[in-house]
Amino acid sequence: MTGLVIGESRPQTLLDDVPYDTWVSPDGACVAQFHRRGDRYLLRFPHQADFALEPISEAAGYHVTAWPAPGCPERVVRNLYRNAILPILGNHSGGLFLHGSAVSIVNEAGNEGGAIAFLGLSRSGKTTLAGAFAKQGHPFLTEDVIDLRLRDGTYWLEPKSSTLRLFHDSAHHLLGSDLKMPEIDEKHDVDGGSTLPFADEAVPLRMLFVLGTDQGAPLSLRRYSPPEALAALLPHAFILDVEDKSRLRAHFSRMADLTEEVACYALDYTRDYAELASVLNAVLTTLRPD
Amino acid sequence: MQLSDIFKVSDDVVARELSGETVLLDLSSGMYFGLDTVGGRIWSLLSHEPRTLHEVADTIEAEFDAPRDRIVADLLSLARDLRERELIVERSD
Repeated sequence: MTGLVIGESRPQTLLDDVPYDTWVSPDGACVAQFHRRGDRYLLRFPHQADFALEPISEAAGYHVTAWPAPGCPERVVRNLYRNAILPILGNHSGGLFLHGSAVSIVNEAGNEGGAIAFLGLSRSGKTTLAGAFAKQGHPFLTEDVIDLRLRDGTYWLEPKSSTLRLFHDSAHHLLGSDLKMPEIDEKHDVDGGSTLPFADEAVPLRMLFVLGTDQGAPLSLRRYSPPEALAALLPHAFILDVEDKSRLRAHFSRMADLTEEVACYALDYTRDYAELASVLNAVLTTLRPD
Repeated sequence: MQLSDIFKVSDDVVARELSGETVLLDLSSGMYFGLDTVGGRIWSLLSHEPRTLHEVADTIEAEFDAPRDRIVADLLSLARDLRERELIVERSD
C-alpha cells in the first residue's frame, strides 16, 4: 500500500450504478456506499469523501486516492482513511480488524494486565468508555479500530492513534475543568496525556465486550458461548467486498479462531455518565480471576 | 421430500464447529444459523459429499442413541428447513 493521496475537492455527483454494499448507521443514515469499477472499488462516504481503491498487486495492496466533498476538512478525510479504509484493506489482505475501542488494563499490582476491547456500532459509547478507563489509569490503545495480530498463539492488540475523538459532553465529563474546546455538535480530538494516558505498545488481548444497542438497558454482563460470540462479532468487522466468497470464508475462519481463544461478553448499560463508574467496576470485576 | 433425495451443502455457506455447536454463515445473505450436535453431524455428512437422506439417517442411527423413526422425522424436518433457506441444495441424479 502506498498511503493516501488526497485529490482536489469535488462534488459527489450521482453515480449511475447501484452500490453492491451499503453501511447504515443505527439511525438509518447511509454511512458508506461501495461501488465496483472493474477490479477497482469506489467507496463513497456521503457529504465527506469518495475513495478510489486501485489494486497494485496481491502483495502490495491498493493505491488509495480520496476526493473530499466540498467543505469537508482534510482531517475528516484522514480520519476516514485511518478508521475505515485501512481496516477494510487490512481485513481484505488477511488481517483481523474490528470496529471498537480498547484499553490496556493496569492490575492492582500496577502491572500490565492485558487489553480489553469494546465493540459497538457508531455512537454506542465505545470512545467514552475507553476514555473513562483511561481516566482511571488504564491507558487507551485505540478509540475506533481494533487491529489484532496473532503471534505465537496470542492475539496482540496494536496501539493506534493517540487521540480520542469525543463529543463535547463526553469530553466535558472526562476532562472537566481541563477542557478547552468550543461547544459544537461534532467530535473533538482530545490528545492522550497525563489525564487520559495512551498505551503506545501492543498488549495481549484478554477479553472482548460487545456493547448492546439498548442505551437505556440496566447494567448487565453475560459471557457469550463461542458460537454466540462469533455471531456477535461478525457485524463489527470491516469488509471490502461482500461478494468475494473466498475472502469471506477466510475471514469467518479467523473470527471463529478468535472466539475460541478470547472470552467475549455482552455488555449492556444505561448511557448515563453517572453510571460509568458502575460499568467500569463491573468490567474490572469480570477481569479478576475467580 | 423423501429419504431417497440426494442433497449437498450450498457452495455459498461456510460452517465452523464451536463448542459442540455448528455455526453456519450464508455468504450470500450474511445470515447466521446454529446447529446442535446432531444437526452439525448431519451438516458434516452432507458437506463431505452429496448423499441421500437415507444414508444420512443410517449414519445418525449408528452414532446416536435414538429410535429410527424419531431420527427420520427430525432429519426430514431439518432438511426441509435447510433447503428452504437454500443452505443445502438437491442433486437431481
